[in-house]
Amino acid sequence: MLRRRPFLAAAGAALIAGRARAQSPRRIVTAINSPYDTLDPHTVFDIGRIATRLNMYDCLVRWVDNPPKLVLWLAEKVDISPDGLIYTFKLRANAKFHDGAPITADDVVFSMERILEMKKGGYSLFKGAIDPGKTKALDAGTVQFTLNAPFAVFLSVLAELWIVNSTLVRANDKSADFGAAWMARNTAGSGSFRLSRYDPAVGFQANRFVDHFMGWGPNPLDQIEYRTILETSGRVLGMLKGDFQSTDGYLPLDQIKQLRDGPNIRIDEAESIRTMYFILHNSRAPLNDINMRKALSYCFDYDAFNIQILGGSVARNAGIIPNTLWGAPADLKGYTYDIAKAKQHLALVKAPLRPLTIGILAGFGQSEQAAVLLQAGAAKAGIEIKLVSEPWSVIQGKYNDPDKTHDIIPLWRSAYFADPHNWTGVIYNSRNIGAGNASHYRNPRFDELTDKALLLTDQEARRPLYEEASRILVDDAAGIYVYNTKWFGPFTRTVKGVRFCPIGDAQDMRWMSIG
Amino acid sequence: MRLLALALRRFLWMPPTLLGLTLIVFSVSHVIPSDPARVLAGENASIEQVETLRRKFGLDQPLPVQFVRYVSDVVGGNMGISLYTQRPVATDLIERLPATFELALFAIALAIMLGLPLGVVSALMRNSWLDQIVRLVTIGGLAMAAFWLAILLQLLFSMQWNLTPVQGRIDGWGPDPITGFYTVDALIRGDLDTFLTALRYLFLPMMTLAIPAMATIVRFTRAGVLNVMNSPFVFYQAAMGLPRRVVIWKYILRAALIGTLTQIGLVFGNLLAGAVVVETVFSWPGLGTYAYNSILQSDYNAIMGFTLFTGSVFIGMNLLVDIAQAVLDPRGR
Repeated sequence: MLRRRPFLAAAGAALIAGRARAQSPRRIVTAINSPYDTLDPHTVFDIGRIATRLNMYDCLVRWVDNPPKLVLWLAEKVDISPDGLIYTFKLRANAKFHDGAPITADDVVFSMERILEMKKGGYSLFKGAIDPGKTKALDAGTVQFTLNAPFAVFLSVLAELWIVNSTLVRANDKSADFGAAWMARNTAGSGSFRLSRYDPAVGFQANRFVDHFMGWGPNPLDQIEYRTILETSGRVLGMLKGDFQSTDGYLPLDQIKQLRDGPNIRIDEAESIRTMYFILHNSRAPLNDINMRKALSYCFDYDAFNIQILGGSVARNAGIIPNTLWGAPADLKGYTYDIAKAKQHLALVKAPLRPLTIGILAGFGQSEQAAVLLQAGAAKAGIEIKLVSEPWSVIQGKYNDPDKTHDIIPLWRSAYFADPHNWTGVIYNSRNIGAGNASHYRNPRFDELTDKALLLTDQEARRPLYEEASRILVDDAAGIYVYNTKWFGPFTRTVKGVRFCPIGDAQDMRWMSIG
Repeated sequence: MRLLALALRRFLWMPPTLLGLTLIVFSVSHVIPSDPARVLAGENASIEQVETLRRKFGLDQPLPVQFVRYVSDVVGGNMGISLYTQRPVATDLIERLPATFELALFAIALAIMLGLPLGVVSALMRNSWLDQIVRLVTIGGLAMAAFWLAILLQLLFSMQWNLTPVQGRIDGWGPDPITGFYTVDALIRGDLDTFLTALRYLFLPMMTLAIPAMATIVRFTRAGVLNVMNSPFVFYQAAMGLPRRVVIWKYILRAALIGTLTQIGLVFGNLLAGAVVVETVFSWPGLGTYAYNSILQSDYNAIMGFTLFTGSVFIGMNLLVDIAQAVLDPRGR
């Protein structure tokens, strides 16, 4: 039986111990708002949950730094045939999976076949470019991809081909599902960190994989932990209290200011490659009239939004391709806030005007602010706009359907791979209507440019094609292009070695240390 | 015997009530113009990719077919596969159940412990300064939005006074589960440190849930006591010369608490539903956060599973309340 006084003494001691429990010196806890509901790298393709893929899996190539550079990773050499159809990779000899098994060409073949068969996650990147059976293991250390046609971004998208341990996955394939059920809760990778704890309701924890083929610098992290904290206030308060050493870099401005004032916290800043724009429904009247789209483009007060509302925390981006990426024309002149010009264009619209709708992303304050600003500007020009707030799942569910989607949607285009194709061909080529081209935009010249750019492997030869494509989008007012995001990465001051890369938002933890 | 018949009658009403609930939730969740196959496939997915997923999850079937199949699966114990976690919904719910139940039980216990005496005292001292304060607090407790109260408590207790954690359920990763209730598991293991840590984490979400629940209990208890105090039988007992203490505890409270008991049952059901907001703010890994994510992702099976589960608890609580009421009040039998 517990006597009262010793019990209280023990309780007090435990409370103090609980509060004073120190963090492991080489451990970083990161708070993220995405639930890690699956660990399978081949079923998800988003930035929110990229930490599981970046830290526990490897690819043949990897994006690092800012502006992003594509570097060889699991591969030590790549040969591309002159016709751009055959890619041959030599794998590193010292690369091992977490269970100690060597990484072989068979694992690469299996990983590609798994993606193509499961048709999830990053499948859309490879669909049409390479067919099942076209990835061959020439020997244990050499793998070859034979493409259906030249595909300039193939190397870029290979950064989303996460190599899984084929032996381990096959051993856990209980119902001919490519081990999907098992892979959702376990890992079979070779990444810099090895899964130690996982709870979909909480997050995941991983320990440093000492034998990783890239080796380790001084004072590397021993352990990383990612926690799902859905509420922004929770992530910010957790940082201020010292529960977390890092959180996401796209917090609202007021929260960034609050963190900046916090003790022991620093904010790393970088211009990212994530553009904010309004999707315009280019094929529905009256927005199918270029003058209507131009009128709207003149109705948005870019400076008021970027400078006053967002406090200059973003950079004006006149086109869809981020300023900092090659392919973005340096001399691109975008639209300005000019109601007189808006009225001029509006007068040329042939179709009868009707109230337009903006689909706002519920829960995204900035989406609503931008929509209200456009609504106010449009009202001055004589255009009536209604605002409809819906969850992302609802907006996304409709936006590939030309009959159901809203007239206008404020949205961000994130960096899935650092190639202008991600901001042009994927979301504006008419081939992708219904599968990414939510603007329902068609322009034969634009299609020709973006298709041609995919056939060339020389970046300098591709550059003018994307520059012209970007200009066409602005000339056509295919969307309203607002800004390029700046990343404000909050870290405790003890965190060193952060290497921000827009593809992954500095969540590649192998570079970091505590000191 | 009459009590048994009452319980049986109430129990037989459960399946049709649940079926009705299922139909309503199914209809509402499926008429929302969201496309779970598209959400699951991602924004750049091809039409083929989306259609493959639609077929895989049976979302290409007409709604009545989907509904009939869902109901027959549920009757067979299968609540379907979550579109997002790719696991059986029942497994997800069972895993997260202890966290929510532990929170709800602590909250209801606190609400009852504070609410009943405050309600009685408030009624007995009607219109006194104490009564006015209690009424002010209860109105405030009912009026405050849960998320606002939660953030307020976080700022005060965690940030200002540094007494409690901001969020989460335990330091690091919880102990290997025995019951899944961290406090109970810690006591079973004799681990006082973990027990107290779990209590510290419980404190703020428990308070957030308990304050409005307590306010409800106070108001019903107060109203019940006032009502009974003016009954002829109470005047009779007082006229008989029984001490005031006996009249209050033996006669007034027993009669007055019948209404409160009904409310406690309903309040407990509300706590489970209210946990969606509170768990989200406090990153509490329970059914509430599961439901929140499911709604955001249009994960039909998970939404249905959560609703069916909380609905069942609600109906079950009502059944228990009805029985308890019949025991306390013979007129209801």
